[in-house]
Parts: sequence; structure tokens; C-alpha cells
Amino acid sequence: MSDAIRLKVEKIDKVFKRRDKPSVEALRSIDMSVAEGEFVSIVGASGSGKSTLLRIIDGLIAPSGGRVLVDGRAVDKPGPDRAMVFQQDSLLPWKTVVDNVAYGLTLAGTRRADAERTAQRFIDIAGLQGFEHHYPHQLSGGMRQRVNVARALAVNPKILLLDEPFAALDAQTREIMQTELLSIWQETRKTVLLITHQIDEAVFLSDRVIVFSARPGTIREEIPVTLPRPRTLELKRSPAFVELVDHIWKLIEAEVRAGIKQS
Amino acid sequence: MRQLYEFLEQDNRSAGFARVAISTLAVLLVWQLVSMLVTNRLLLVPPAEVAAALVKEVESGAMWTNAVATVTAVVTSFIVSVAIGVAVGLALASSRVLSLTGGPVLSALNSVPIIALAPLFIAWLGLGFASKFVLVIMVAVFPVVVTTEAGLRATDKQLVEAARSFNATPLQIFSTVTFPYALPFIVSGIRVAWARALVGIVVAEFFGSFAGFGFAILSASQTFDTARVLGYVIMLGAMGLIGSVLFATLERRLAPWRQE
Repeated sequence: MSDAIRLKVEKIDKVFKRRDKPSVEALRSIDMSVAEGEFVSIVGASGSGKSTLLRIIDGLIAPSGGRVLVDGRAVDKPGPDRAMVFQQDSLLPWKTVVDNVAYGLTLAGTRRADAERTAQRFIDIAGLQGFEHHYPHQLSGGMRQRVNVARALAVNPKILLLDEPFAALDAQTREIMQTELLSIWQETRKTVLLITHQIDEAVFLSDRVIVFSARPGTIREEIPVTLPRPRTLELKRSPAFVELVDHIWKLIEAEVRAGIKQS
Repeated sequence: MRQLYEFLEQDNRSAGFARVAISTLAVLLVWQLVSMLVTNRLLLVPPAEVAAALVKEVESGAMWTNAVATVTAVVTSFIVSVAIGVAVGLALASSRVLSLTGGPVLSALNSVPIIALAPLFIAWLGLGFASKFVLVIMVAVFPVVVTTEAGLRATDKQLVEAARSFNATPLQIFSTVTFPYALPFIVSGIRVAWARALVGIVVAEFFGSFAGFGFAILSASQTFDTARVLGYVIMLGAMGLIGSVLFATLERRLAPWRQE
């Protein structure tokens, strides 16, 4: 890993103004950076604005203040240097797997044959061989999320943004998908920023975990994860791992409990 | 018996044909039984006589003349109403102001029985193609307008967000997300429009024309030729059924993910 800063978030604020209701402060003065090739996760209770931050970084929504820099250049709209993996159901149901994976490329004007060749490469990486001509509704949740990851990788972004990519999957599938994401990351050496509710997922995958507090979202603590790589699922049972997860849980526990009572 | 029941429950083509055959036979049987009870042939004639009347119409060439008149008029005006309906639906979906301003006018027009205006259309446009054309468009266009607007508005926000995330232009979002998503909605509107177009054409032909199924039904009923009336009604029914099956199939093809 080099130390070059790939993604820098400077003093990001976000206030949602709502008609006839008090406005909501989602994020306050977020400062963070992600180095080239680094895997960083953000965890926090519901309402900590982590998903909002990811959308601001992707350029889908504008911040109320502050800026996002990719390789030192400010960005304010979606671009080919960032690609997002959404939670679920963001695949086009009328397109096959290969057309879905090629979607970002065809939007960018890549010739069909080239787009399909590139798509095939990431279909292979994501373990979707043999399903090229299936439609999303014919696939399991886990397979659909592989398509989602492959689609984001196919546009060759510098930064991969993942918005709770495995939240809708069952626990066992989720564990498998985590190890697959790790091996894809090791193969492609992308810079990754992942949002998750699952503390163990964040610790297992990341070089660094950023813990958010809720309402408004602020950074409570940044925790480097120095557990050795490559990591396997056995790591999740090691005392060092459990201790880290426990530490992070204690940081957000009170807010999670408050969140349950509120909703 | 149980085997037959299980066969009919299947979701394949031959079972489908068998179901249609059974229901057709049942209708013919009931019709036959009723016509044995009602012996006044001015009121009801049995299926065999209707078939004979149809054969006679085909042999005399009247069937062909009427079919050409009705089918050309209804198909042309149906295609034009679909085009207008989709265009208006697009306009309404793309502009909130337009939708709020034009919407009430459209739903008022939609709830007026436009068929009742048929005599007026004929007074304005004369006997023949023009009045049929306009009347059919007036009745068939609304379902397409309504479903086009609804389909475009129903679009999946997550799909739009994903497209935006890949830097899609507004036109690309429309052509790769919003429009394909709306297409099955639009086709279901088109299916309703076809049924309405058939009603429109018959009424237009009742009030003023020199050929067509509606004209033939009216002239046959004026000579109390009940067999011929029912024969042409069956022809119209067949047109309705063909359209309905065709568009239902198209709807399924366009949105296979909705089935499972």
C-alpha cells in the first residue's frame, strides 16, 4: 500500500431542509481520508448519516458545506473515478447479467463488443460464469450482489464505494461474500470505502474502521485494524478480533439502543 | 379425471389451448341448450345457423368488404391513438405543472361517455372514414395516456440512482431506466385501448357508414336476420380476443421478472 491519498473528505456538512418540518442535520464537519489501495469501513447506528456521506462522495447528492477530493481534485458529480455498489435491487430487471455488468460501460459510450469483453472479465472475477444470460430475478440474493460488484468494477474506478452491500443477505451467504470481496480487493487493488451495520464485517474486511456517532453524524473514533492478511473466516474467532469488535460495539451501543426506542 | 385436472392446471401451451377449447365448448353447449328452449328464431338462433350465416357472408364477399372497412379503420385509428396517448403521457409525466393543469381536464373527458357524441362527430365529419377515425381515437387514447404517465412516474428510484451513479445523462436515464420500466404499464393500457377501439368502431359504424361490421350488424338487425347479427358479433369478439391475447403476451415478454 502506498501512502498517496486517494480520497479526501474536507469539512463535509449536510443539512436536509424539509417542507413544513424542522430540518435535519445529517452530517457535521466530517474530515477523513482514504489512502490509495486502502480498505476503509464506516460503521455507526442508524441515522448516523453514513449512507448520506457515501452519496455525497459519489456525487449523487450535494453537501451543504465542505468538499470531496479525488486525487486532489474536487468532485461534485458522479464520475468514472468512483463506482457505487448499492444495497439491493439496483440491477436492471430487463437486462441479462452480462448486460447489467456492461451497463456503466455502455452508458459511457464503450463499443458493445468491448463492453461485453470487459464485462466477461469481471463476471469471471465475481464467480458468475455460466450465468451470463440469466436475468436478475433468476438469481439468488448473493448472486445478484456479485453482479452488482462486477458492474461497479467493470468501469475500472479508482474508488469503490459500497453501501451495505450484504445487508439484505442471510448470515451465511454474507460471510462467504465477505471473503470473496476480500479476494476481489486483493486482486484488483482498488481503494474501497464500505458502509455497514455489521461491526464484525467492518473489522474483518478493513485496514481502518471509522466509527460514526448519530444525529448529526460525526466521526467518533478511527480504529486501525492491524490484523494480518490474507484473512480467513477463522480470524473472526481470534481474541484480537473479538476484542476490536467489542470495543467498537461499546462506542455505538448507547445510540443503537436509543434508535430502537425512537422507531 | 384427476389426471385431466392436473393437466389443465399446467402452465404450458397445450394446456392453455385445452382450457380455451373446453370453455368454448361449454359456451356453445349452453347456447345450444338455451336456443332449444327459446324457439322464437327472431330472438335467438342456435350456433349452427350462425355458422351457416357466416359461411354465406364469406361466399357472397360481404364479409370481406365489411372486414376491410372495419379492420383498416380500427387499426389505423388505434395505432394513431397509441402514438398520441404515449406522447401525451410522456408530456404529462415530464412536467408536474402540465400534469396538474391538464390532468383534471383529461379525467373529465375520460369520464364523459364519448360514445354518446358519435352523432355529433358524424355531423361534423360526414359518413365514412374520418368520423370513425376521430371517434375511435377519442375513446381509445385515454387508457394509453393514463398508463403511460403512471408507468413513467412509477419508475424505481433505486434504478435511477444507480444510473446516475454511472454518470448517465437525463436522456440515458430515460432510455435505459424510466422507459423500459414503464413499457409493461403502457402495453396494459394499449390492451384496454384495443377493446375500447372496437366499441368505438362499432358505434361509429352504427351511426354512419356504408360498410363494416357495425354497419352489417345494424342492417341485419333491421331485417331481423338474427343469425347474421350474431355472426358479425362473433367476428368482433374474435378481434377483441386476438388483441387481448397478443398484448397480454407482449406484456409478459416485456416484464418477465414480474411473474415470479
